Amino acid sequence: MSKKILYAIFDDDEVLVKSVKELRSKGIEIAEVYSPFPVHGLDHALGLKETRMAITAFIYGCLGLAFGGLLIYYIMISGVGKSWPMNIGGKPNWTFYQNMPAFVPIMFECTVLFAGHLMSLTYLFRNRLYPGATTTSPDPRTTDDKFLMELEIEGSDVEIKKILTATGASEINEKGNENE
Amino acid sequence: MKTTKKYWKGLAQLNDDPIVEKLAQNEFVEQLPVDEFLGDQENLSSTSSSRRDFLKFLGFSTAAATLAACETPIVKSIPYLVKPDEIIPGVANYYASTIYDGRDYASVLVKTREGRPIKIENNGTSSNSRVQASVLSLYDSARLRHPLKENKETDWNTVDKEIREKLGNIKSGKIAFLTSTILSPSTNKLIEEFSKNYNNVEHVMIDSTPYDGILDANMDSFGVRLVPTYSFDKAAVIVSFGADFLANWMANEYATDYVNGRNPKSGKMSKHYQLETNLSLSGSNADKRIQIKPSEQGYLISSLYDAVQGKDFDSRLSHIVKALKSNPKKSIIISNSNDKNIQLLVNAINQKLGNYNSTISIAKPSNLKQGNSEKLNALISDMKNGNVSALITYNVNPSYSLEKANEFNKALQNVNLKISTSLHNDETASLMDYVCPDHHNLESWGDANPKHGVYSLMQPTISPLFSTRQFQESLLVWSGKSDYQQYLQDFWMNKGIDWNKSLHDGFFDMKEDKLKLKRFVDQSKSIKSSESNLIELEIYETIALGDGFQSNNPWLQELPDPITRACWDNYLTISATTAKELGLSNWNVSNGALNGSLVDITTNEVTLKNVPVMISPGQARSTVGMAIGYGRTKAGKAGDNVGFNAYPFLSAKTVNISKVEGEYEFACIQLHHTMMGRDIVKETTLSEYIKDPSSGNHRETYQTYKGKLTADKVSLYDEHDLETGHFWNLSIDLNSCIGCGECVIACQAENNLSVVGKEEIRKSRDMHWLRIDRYFSSDMTKKLSKEEKISAIDMFSEMEVPSENPEVVFQPVMCMHCNHAPCENVCPVAATTHSNEGLNQMTYNRCVGTRYCANNCPYKVRRFNWFQYSDNDKFDFNMNDDYGKMVLNPDVVVRSRGVIEKCSMCIQKIQELKLNAKNSGQPVKDVDAQTACSASCSTNALTFGDSNNKDSKVWSLRNDDRAYDLLDHLNVRPSVFYQTKIRNKA
Amino acid sequence: MHKESEIRDPLILGNKTYHDITRDIARPVEGKANKYWWILFGLSVALFLWGVGCMAYTIGTGIGVWGLNRTVNWAWDITNFVWWIGIGHAGTLISAVLLLFRQKWRMAINRSAEAMTIFGVIQAGLFPLIHMGRPWLAYWVFPIPNQYGSLWQNFNSPLLWDVFAISTYLTVSTVFWYIGLIPDFAMIRDRMSKTISPMKKKLYTLLAFGWSGRAKHWQRFEEVSLVLAGLATPLVFSVHSIVSMDFATSVIPGWHTTIFPPYFVLGALFSGFAMVETLLIIMRKVVNMEAYITIKHIEYMNVIILFTGSLVGTAYITELFMAWYSGVEFEQYAFLNRATGPYWWAYASMMSCNVIIPQLYWIRKIRTSFIATFILSIFVNIGMWFERFVIIVTSLHRDFLPSAWTMFSPTFVDMGIFLGTIGFFFTLFLMYSRTFPVVAQAELKTILKSSGSEFKTRSNE
Repeated sequence: MSKKILYAIFDDDEVLVKSVKELRSKGIEIAEVYSPFPVHGLDHALGLKETRMAITAFIYGCLGLAFGGLLIYYIMISGVGKSWPMNIGGKPNWTFYQNMPAFVPIMFECTVLFAGHLMSLTYLFRNRLYPGATTTSPDPRTTDDKFLMELEIEGSDVEIKKILTATGASEINEKGNENE
Repeated sequence: MKTTKKYWKGLAQLNDDPIVEKLAQNEFVEQLPVDEFLGDQENLSSTSSSRRDFLKFLGFSTAAATLAACETPIVKSIPYLVKPDEIIPGVANYYASTIYDGRDYASVLVKTREGRPIKIENNGTSSNSRVQASVLSLYDSARLRHPLKENKETDWNTVDKEIREKLGNIKSGKIAFLTSTILSPSTNKLIEEFSKNYNNVEHVMIDSTPYDGILDANMDSFGVRLVPTYSFDKAAVIVSFGADFLANWMANEYATDYVNGRNPKSGKMSKHYQLETNLSLSGSNADKRIQIKPSEQGYLISSLYDAVQGKDFDSRLSHIVKALKSNPKKSIIISNSNDKNIQLLVNAINQKLGNYNSTISIAKPSNLKQGNSEKLNALISDMKNGNVSALITYNVNPSYSLEKANEFNKALQNVNLKISTSLHNDETASLMDYVCPDHHNLESWGDANPKHGVYSLMQPTISPLFSTRQFQESLLVWSGKSDYQQYLQDFWMNKGIDWNKSLHDGFFDMKEDKLKLKRFVDQSKSIKSSESNLIELEIYETIALGDGFQSNNPWLQELPDPITRACWDNYLTISATTAKELGLSNWNVSNGALNGSLVDITTNEVTLKNVPVMISPGQARSTVGMAIGYGRTKAGKAGDNVGFNAYPFLSAKTVNISKVEGEYEFACIQLHHTMMGRDIVKETTLSEYIKDPSSGNHRETYQTYKGKLTADKVSLYDEHDLETGHFWNLSIDLNSCIGCGECVIACQAENNLSVVGKEEIRKSRDMHWLRIDRYFSSDMTKKLSKEEKISAIDMFSEMEVPSENPEVVFQPVMCMHCNHAPCENVCPVAATTHSNEGLNQMTYNRCVGTRYCANNCPYKVRRFNWFQYSDNDKFDFNMNDDYGKMVLNPDVVVRSRGVIEKCSMCIQKIQELKLNAKNSGQPVKDVDAQTACSASCSTNALTFGDSNNKDSKVWSLRNDDRAYDLLDHLNVRPSVFYQTKIRNKA
Repeated sequence: MHKESEIRDPLILGNKTYHDITRDIARPVEGKANKYWWILFGLSVALFLWGVGCMAYTIGTGIGVWGLNRTVNWAWDITNFVWWIGIGHAGTLISAVLLLFRQKWRMAINRSAEAMTIFGVIQAGLFPLIHMGRPWLAYWVFPIPNQYGSLWQNFNSPLLWDVFAISTYLTVSTVFWYIGLIPDFAMIRDRMSKTISPMKKKLYTLLAFGWSGRAKHWQRFEEVSLVLAGLATPLVFSVHSIVSMDFATSVIPGWHTTIFPPYFVLGALFSGFAMVETLLIIMRKVVNMEAYITIKHIEYMNVIILFTGSLVGTAYITELFMAWYSGVEFEQYAFLNRATGPYWWAYASMMSCNVIIPQLYWIRKIRTSFIATFILSIFVNIGMWFERFVIIVTSLHRDFLPSAWTMFSPTFVDMGIFLGTIGFFFTLFLMYSRTFPVVAQAELKTILKSSGSEFKTRSNE
């Protein structure tokens, strides 16, 4: 049996969401949806899992905080502080906690720095986004005003095409013979 | 067993082929065609160089260019071929010597490094800023480098030959020496001998500011034409009529005596009245200052004489009379007047009060002032009439410093042989036939007899920089002898002096019996008061330049005047009231620099055009003051055309002043003259102090959980340990500081401070690490404003205005070396940190120049290098001059552009001290601990030491009731602290 | 999906469809610049070059070419620094804080506001650099291991806090900005034809990072934006608080004030929004964005300005009160001197520009007029510059010891550098407005239905 890939194009996001629900209720799996903007409720309709970007951010943040703290501890208090004790304005350079208030700002900045950058990098990495990468969208209009639904089907597609047209797809193309 | 194996390199060797031998001899089997190639010349020249050659050249030239590009700094240094025993690189040698330039006398220690004098230290006596700065004058590149003949360079032989024959040919005319007061017995002897060789030699001495009045008066009263020595430390009451004895009047040692006589601890503190016109240094330190016109002085003195005789007197003197009456034999009356009659009155008063032989000694006189104007005038008229055939000047610059300089110059044309021995081709020298440049003090041998029985020796501390010759040597040569050093040595050894010891000490005493005086006869005539509404002029000398002998010394030019705080200038000082009457004013331009209006000054003889006026509190109404020593025209690049020459007004009594268009730009580094009601200089009165030693030293206490505490007892966190090891502290006694500025120069010399010039000073960019703040009292006080319900705005604006006759305080301010330093906390790169000896250290080469520390310094003592101040033609002072640079202290780095610098408490001296102690295996001695400022201070106002050492002086001062921290409410815990000022007023 | 009350005025005017939005946003990038753009651009470049000259002169000769002195060691340099940093703040606030508060109206302007932030912070960053005596050693402020072993920074120093705060702020807001840009670059990429403009196509392909708008990507996109917003919000407050600590942690009367952090942040937002208005009112003209940047947006911002302006005014009064209440004579004098001293005119212009003039926004007519808003926003910018000048110079020039008191007056170099940064700023912004999608079109499309005038009218029928 040959595998077929259908591209159903919609003009409106609400219509798209309806049709997605329709199809999935019929137990038809939807491979991917390409849209020009985030369509609300689509991820639920498609049954996508919650993303864990926020969690990574939290971890990176903790990392940054630790880094900042250690950096300052190493430079101002321990190691260097001991090997070359610097008396700066009579501040207690032998205890971290007594000198702490002066260190808060930088520790905070380090937290944000790490969280922000590392999370963004993870985001790009997970989305396979990098300079020079080319679009994987089958239809360039999906960044303009068209919503494209990609289905992988085996066997006859008549049924599905019917449902799609019924739910308001403006065009339905098969991979290979899209009509330009 | 012995092996007989033979290893062969190849078959050829095995079967002894001759080629082996051949190869062994000569690696090239055939002769290389070198000669063919290089030998024949035109073939070589004709060969067009190939691509490879080209690449070679290219490669070479690139490499060469690269090498040439990385420039290596040229360091002019010559190693010792034979190292002198006494010179150890890095270790300073001190030589006892004497500084005397015809104006200022001091017995000093000269600090030399690698054979270069770099610093003047007091030899147990007092000095002043000019003496301190004279070391830079040694390296003045404007000095003459050869003898001159008609202003053209020549050599000594020709000069000597010609001079000797010209002197020899003199038949009738006089040979006149015109010199400063000469303190050197040997020189006097030399001149005597010289006058034996040549007939009718005349020797005329002049002082830049004449003291004839007092000299002649003493001639009449006592039969000796000398000035007495005063013991200000013994006096209980000091009444000075205009005599600025703390600064420039007579000897600079009087400041020391004065302060020694004002020690509140011992309860013995003299009472000082100053009746004067200009606000002088003495006046600003006086307990009571009365403003008088110069013309009133005579009348007041005579009225005072009436008073001591019990007659009725001027009401203004009532306090003084009471004080004098209650302290018989323990007072000093002095006057700066050059009028014999006035001085006769002064003598009479002192005699009547029995001050002679107790506080004033004429029998043991001072030799510092011996000038004789009568003789001078006689000489000038002789010159006019052509009776003078030779004139030899020494240590004087009459064409500049005589009141009648023009007359002198005219007369000079009738002199056939004119010889100057000046160091510079100055105003006078440039008119002379011959200039036989003298050595600088520090290159010369010599001796001095400043006062009766006291002698000091002068020895060279560097071999002459230029082809110059000492005046005395010249005299010897011209009278057919030579070698003044030997002459000097013999001179004293014949007197039975231990030459080596005296030379080592720099001074020696000689038992001399008192002078024979004739019985005192009172020849004084009383003087009536003369009312005049004309504007009266009083000429004065600044602490920095004095008579202008060292005008070309940028250190002195940039030393701010203690009263007006202006430098690089002289001006007409005038009281605010009089200025208003004449429509004159001072104002600050947008960047804070001070400008002033211009006037023309005229007397019936001379006029001076476009002179700026400086409104100065304390100036008596309808009087003006002006400093001499400025307006040089042939001093050198630093001294030329700075200010105006006031010598022509020397004896002018009244002047006409007319406002003219235009404005003048001053370089004044202090814009604000009052303390704005702030507790900056704490002061009290003697009576209060005796009741309660801590009076006037109120310290704010703060409520803490431990109860009420003063700021320095409260801290957020644990303290660093400052108890172990040294804890360097500096105590500044505001009662001893007279504000003379000597320490400023000492600091400048010790720490290689750059001179920045008038324009930068105008932009408030002075580079002094140590400044002496001067505050005037204001009529407006917080108390008054409360009583009279004056709004805060009005109060503060009125507080900015100093009183007409203000009380003055001086406060030296340098880095306070705070132990909770605000500057250290804010430096992002930790370029300024604290030492565990309590010093705030500045790491120049770590500094990136954010200037945050300078902003956050409450005392504003940090200085930023706005430009490259060394080796920069825009700042063409001693640091841009190969000779001037020789004065730099090798122990202190010259700061580069873009870094902050500040007082280091002379860390280099501290390190030296500790090293020496270590080498000698002994603990650091408190007496040896000195900073440049504390060492130089003639009045011992600054005391440096280790306050962890319980028996150090500074420790006891730290715990004195008078001790206080500046701005202590900030709780920055300074290592520098002050002692309250105490005034002896009712 | 997002519902919006019918009576609210539409945020997108004209009967726009998704495609219209696409076209409008892409137009400036695809089309030619109009003459306004060229005039402004030429002007800014000229200013910029003049500034570069002045900076070169300073670095070559020494800080002495400025008007500073031993008492006033900071003046225009740090004034400009704080001013630019302040301007930077509105951008992040609009894109981050308003995102957290689900303020839809931000979408039309947040892209440009963020661009302004980044360009502003770049200007600000210049000053700490060139105000150094030895700028070639500026890298010493970063904790870079070095051959001197234990030679490190001083983490007690607010200046070092600045270094970290500003570099974090700059980089994080840039990332935030770019994450949002990627889908829009993709949109432009897809409109570019290989044949007509191959270079542009390549460029935008590169910039778009191969975005293809998959559902999962959009899901991540939204979460990342949200988290970044969550990070940027405290960041934006921290940055100006830290800048204010440069002064607050010192001992100088007039600087040593606990009110500074909130006071500075408010001032920053205040000036930031003013600058956003100045820019947007220009931009909507030069790149024809009238339909998207509407009077509604301007009015919303005016309300914020009115609010923050009044708060800043309160802060000024509080300062004066605290000075009097503290009973410290130095404090009291410092503030008396601000208002009545030689720099009273600076204080007066600060007060009038920041406190009095914004009160005009109570009047609806002014609040909803482009012209009036433009003029007032300029006033606010000037006023905020003076605020920093007043804080820095008048506090320094008369501190504790009257003997050290003096005055400051700028030289042509001071002014040249300031004008230079303004030129640099506008140069960057104008270049941005012609090459970047100046409106976050992807996001904007999500609210078209709720706030687009067409849909509103339709649903009102």
